[in-house]
Order: sequence, then structure tokens, then C-alpha cells
Amino acid sequence: MKSSYARYGALVLVLAGIAVIVWTAVADPDTAPTFVEAADSPAAQPAPAVAIDTDDVTQASSDSAATSAPPTTSPAVTTTTESPEPIPVLGAAFTLSRLDGWLNTDAASLEEIRERNALTVVQFWTFGCRNCKKTLDALGQLHADFRDRGVEVVGVHSPEFAYEADVDNIVEAAAELGVVWPIALDTTKHNFHLWQEGPTGYWPRVYIIDSENQIRFDRRGDGAHTYRELYATVERLLAQASA
Amino acid sequence: MDTVFDTFTEGISVVTWACTLPIAVPGLALVLVARRARVTVGVLYAAGAALMAWAPAAGYWRTDMRGLVVVVVAVLAAGTYLAAWKAPTGNSPLAAGGGFVGGAIASWLWRPCVGPRLGDILNEAGTDELRTLALMGVYTVGALLPLLLLAMLPVAVPVVGRVLDSRPFAVTGAVVGGVYAITLAIGLYDNLIGEMYRISSGN
Repeated sequence: MKSSYARYGALVLVLAGIAVIVWTAVADPDTAPTFVEAADSPAAQPAPAVAIDTDDVTQASSDSAATSAPPTTSPAVTTTTESPEPIPVLGAAFTLSRLDGWLNTDAASLEEIRERNALTVVQFWTFGCRNCKKTLDALGQLHADFRDRGVEVVGVHSPEFAYEADVDNIVEAAAELGVVWPIALDTTKHNFHLWQEGPTGYWPRVYIIDSENQIRFDRRGDGAHTYRELYATVERLLAQASA
Repeated sequence: MDTVFDTFTEGISVVTWACTLPIAVPGLALVLVARRARVTVGVLYAAGAALMAWAPAAGYWRTDMRGLVVVVVAVLAAGTYLAAWKAPTGNSPLAAGGGFVGGAIASWLWRPCVGPRLGDILNEAGTDELRTLALMGVYTVGALLPLLLLAMLPVAVPVVGRVLDSRPFAVTGAVVGGVYAITLAIGLYDNLIGEMYRISSGN
């Protein structure tokens, strides 16, 4: 009797598990984290002298279910005169060394790019990584919106597998994916492991480096809320720099 | 509750992704090999995998797999298959140890596809340990659901158990486990997984 209860219980669990897998496979939209409407972007509107409501930013960063508009749009941005919380310094950034070269730039080092810009957004990615691809629209928008305001995006291409290490494949994939910002070729993954201490590195992982080579933002994953927060943090750092 | 559900479904959504193969394939082989202790091996494999996926992000595990460590881990990996094969019942320490250590090793080698929920778990692991560990468990159960279903299927449908107990399945599990341990030992594991990834993603 007891074994038949166990058997039926297991059967129910197995069927439920199969149903959940099928349902998830059908329901998974695999959508990209596009988050800023063009009309609301700083490129479309002159940069307003705004301060971001700290509570809203905090909510955007901590609420994993956040689906609201980015802090560039109401209600996340207000014209309050209160000073927002300072953005913490997370430590000094490493340099990029032992690279195989650069694409989409005449710069020869991260320092050179940093010296030309107020902020540098560094993302570790590889073109075969599905989660990385989902962030490229967001990074493209950030690049388009802020490149004239002293923000450069650098994609550190650290291949996960052998076919991703081939430069021709990278060039072809970058063109196909619309990656027009500088790409550092970290073929040996030296920088991938240097920047991400420990046995496991992650794709994608994104940092903001300020002009003093300090890390001001560090997040893993492809979450739309993560890239909204990235966008908002760039805006805040620029605002703080110009204040 | 939404977070738990979303984490679980994100785990399930990567079941068919190539980046989940390094953790799923060794586990499926281990469950095939563990004829008399499939449920225990499967559940503890998921537990070991969850703990080891969480520990580096939380700052508890900083050991790189290189040099002599690789050889030791490869021998240990082979040992988990032997333990699972020899385990007489689900209550045996061989079943529990084989499953847990097998999951931990596979997870140590695992570089997961970091979606929004997993990203949150990893980002907050250092500051909110218990919650993120629990959520990592939920995520891993989702990602390893086929393995857990395979472990449970013989209990639900005994005839499936008899099929899985037949020689071809056990041999398949042992061969996969052997290839896994050998490629790991000689440093070809990444290339093997890379090739599988390339084929499955059509690149």
C-alpha cells in the first residue's frame, strides 16, 4: 500500500515536471532587455539637470521583478533638489593586458580610452553567449545616447569556446549583431579571470569605470533591470561629474 | 513568491541550452549508473551543484581548477560513478556521497548562462547568503529537472526502471562518465563541451 502511494506520488511529480518543462519551453519569449524608448533618451532630448529620486533607483536595483520604465522616464526621474545617495566606489579597476588586439577603435589600450572619456562601460561578453546577445541592444542604445557625452563602451570579448576565439568569426558576429563599440580581444581569457576573481567567471558581466579608474558599478546577468540600472548610474555619474 | 517562481522557471528555461550541458550530462549519466539509488543520487547531485554554483559568488570558494587539482578532481569524478554504481540502496553513504560530490564537481566546472534571476542571485550572494543559497537551489532544481525526472521515473513507472536497469543504459552512463573523467584529466573537457555547444547552436 505504502509503495503504491509512493508510486502514484512519483507519477504525479513526473507528469507535473514534464508539464512544467513543456509550458516553459512554449512560454519562454527569450526577449531582449530593450528598456529605453528612443523618444525618452538623452540623444533625443537635451540632458536635463535632474536628480534621480534615490528611492526609485534603489527600487529599480533591488526589485528583481521591476518592469517599469528606466530612470530616464517618469516616475523614476524627478526634478527633486534632494541629493541622491553617492554611488559607491567598489575598488580600483584592473587594466586590460595580454590582449590579441582591438576592433572598432584606433585605441591601443583601455587607459587610452579611459583618458578620452569621463566614464568607460566595460562588458565581458562572447558572441556565442545567448545572454550576452540579449544585452547588446541595451548597450547599443547606451553607446548611442552617451558617446557624445564622454562615455565609451568597451566589449571585452573573452571566448568561451574555440570557435569564438577566431578573429574572423568575431568580426563577422560583431557586424551581424551591430556591435560598433570598441572590442578588446581577450582570446586567452587572461582578463576575464583577472577581473573576475575565483574559479567561475560569468558572461555577461558589466562594469562602469570612472576617470580615476575606480569601479562604480558591477553586475552579472542580462536582466533588463540590471541594464536600466546601468543606464541610470551612467546618468547619475555624469550629473555628479558636471555638478 | 514571484521571485521563487521566476527563478524556477528561469532554471527550466535553460534546460535545453548548451551552457547547461556541462552540469546536466554528467548528472544524467550518474543517475543512469546508480541503478539502486537513483533518487538519492539525483537529489544530492542537484544539492551539490547548487552549493558549488553559489559558493564562489558568495566568496567561499576561490580555488581554481588547474595543475594537480585537475587530476585529483578527475579521479574523484570517476570515483563518483563507481560509488553510484556500487550503492546498494538509496540510504547508502555511497549514493549520497557520489551524488553530492558529483554535483559539486560538475558545478565547479560549470559556467552558467546568466539570465536575470541567476544574475540577481550571484550579485547578491555576498550580502544575502541564506536567501540566495535557497534561490540557487530553486534555480538548480529547475535546470536539472530532466535529471530529477529521470531519477524518479522508475519509482513512478516500474517498467521504465527495468528498462533503465538493462545493460545498454548502464553502459551508456558508464561510458559518458568515463569520457567525462578522462577529458577532464587531460584538459580536453572544455573543447568537448565547446564542440557540443557549437553544434547545438548552429554556429
